[in-house]
Amino acid sequence: MSAPVAASLPSRRRAYRMLVLTELRQAWRTPVYLIPAVGLPVLLLVVFGSIPSLTQPSKTFGGISFFTIYTPTLMVLVLMLLGLLSLPSQMASYREQGVLRRMSTTPVPASALLGAQVAVNILFAVVSIALILGVGAGAFNLALPVQFGWFVLSLALAVAAMFGIGLCIAAFAASPRVSNVIAGALFYPLAFFSGMYGPLTVYPGVVGRIAKWAPTGAAFNALHASLGGTSPAGRRSGCSSPTRSCSAQSPSVGSAGTSSDPTAGAETSSLCSR
Amino acid sequence: MAATPDNVLEDRQAPMPAVIAVEHLHKAYGATVAVDDVSFSVRAGEIFGVLGRNGAGKTTTVECLSGLRVPDGGSLDVLGLDPQEDRRELHERVGVQLQQSALPPKIRVGEAVELYASFYRRPADGDRLLGVLGLDTKRGSYFRDLSGGQKQRLSIVLALIGQPEIAILDELTTGLDPEARRETWGLIEDVRDSGVTIVLVTHLMEEAERLCDRVALIDHGKVIALGPPTHLGEQAATSKRVRLRASDQLPDEVLEALPEVSAVEHHGPDLVVIGSGNLVTVVVLAFDRAGLVAEDVRTETSTLEDAFLALTDAADADATAGGLKR
Repeated sequence: MSAPVAASLPSRRRAYRMLVLTELRQAWRTPVYLIPAVGLPVLLLVVFGSIPSLTQPSKTFGGISFFTIYTPTLMVLVLMLLGLLSLPSQMASYREQGVLRRMSTTPVPASALLGAQVAVNILFAVVSIALILGVGAGAFNLALPVQFGWFVLSLALAVAAMFGIGLCIAAFAASPRVSNVIAGALFYPLAFFSGMYGPLTVYPGVVGRIAKWAPTGAAFNALHASLGGTSPAGRRSGCSSPTRSCSAQSPSVGSAGTSSDPTAGAETSSLCSR
Repeated sequence: MAATPDNVLEDRQAPMPAVIAVEHLHKAYGATVAVDDVSFSVRAGEIFGVLGRNGAGKTTTVECLSGLRVPDGGSLDVLGLDPQEDRRELHERVGVQLQQSALPPKIRVGEAVELYASFYRRPADGDRLLGVLGLDTKRGSYFRDLSGGQKQRLSIVLALIGQPEIAILDELTTGLDPEARRETWGLIEDVRDSGVTIVLVTHLMEEAERLCDRVALIDHGKVIALGPPTHLGEQAATSKRVRLRASDQLPDEVLEALPEVSAVEHHGPDLVVIGSGNLVTVVVLAFDRAGLVAEDVRTETSTLEDAFLALTDAADADATAGGLKR
């Protein structure tokens, strides 16, 4: 088996390129997830950014504005829409339609299609988050991530978490209906812990502690910290490696509230609001 | 095995080189045995039919051949490859069209052909193939907008795009109207004439007779007949059906004891006797001897489909006795 495989490597790279191109075209022609995942967060950003009171630093949110604290939540929303809803739903409909079965009779395994789907959804996530940053910075004085490396790392880990959940659903959902029911059931609690129904900072003790460990809560905390100029690992000496648990714990801007670290809040607000 | 027909043995001594050899294939899903014991070989350049009723084990057999399922027992050799061990190489050289496999609804015909061509080392000229199969004007159409026949023709294109040595086509004409079906048959013959060996899975006796050089008739997971379809066809020509209503029940055994009768079926109030020779007379006389009256006697034209059913029914009945009724 080894010799023919080695001989066909270039053709396989071409196959992956073609698959990604095909998936891009499919997503463009049926933009059921593309539109909400790329359009909705930017729309919400514009709405919140246009309400003056929401862009003012607020004591409720530890001295930063609602707008600032909601931006990472919108980014988590993007990842949830793409990783949790779009990816498994698309794979399940390919399974239901027999597309995976068709492909598994060719030299290129059906898993390559999964890879192309992941790549396309990650591309959309990057585009959508770049739009949030671009529109936020251009129109509403949103500070670009000060700790850009930490921001990218936080984003990568958040992608891994959301897409990981999505791939688990895709692994056993026989149809998009099944996939959407599972993803829908997970969506609301995960959205809650990302701060979608109210910034995580206002949640009392127990809920706040759960949020730290929930995938979306951890993602929010890491993104919020790195956006606001506080590196997720920088403020705790004990954290040497930027793992997710570490990112989740370090930004005490999150649930620990303002009292423990007022300077961080002030620093953030000065960076992020007008 | 008990039901191994004589011509299976003749077949193994065939002079043509075998490109597919299946020996005692066995596959079960839990307690359900899909393929019990299937053996056959396919020669280079022929159209080989795998024929049987729905659920007979045809699709499982070709899925094992295609490397999509792991057999529980037996051995498989396709072009000298093991379908499990050498899957990738197998898929380079064997084009497969399976039931319930499709494309995304919004992929264009031309895009699908280009995509699938990129999967192979030495793809065929996709444009030429589309032309041969009469799809060149459909290149810009979405898959979902194609008719049933066009979808099937596209699936033939995709099965052939890798320039395979063998094409396995599963229920290719199911759901097509008679015209599209005949058109597809012509195309399959053209493909064979271009040097591709074809394994055609079908439940249509007519299709097998029209296209196949040889067929394996599979029933309950076993090969019950193997050879040129004319053998099965001859049997079809001699098979007759008599439908009647009796004034009172005559035990089936009485009719089945007659040498002309091969099967007795009950369809509601009707009794259907299947057999050969001077069937009507024999059956009516049998009722007369029992002091009963056979009413509303009709002979039914024996279709190939009926013969096919009679053959598989006979195999059911003879499974314990051993041997295929000929």
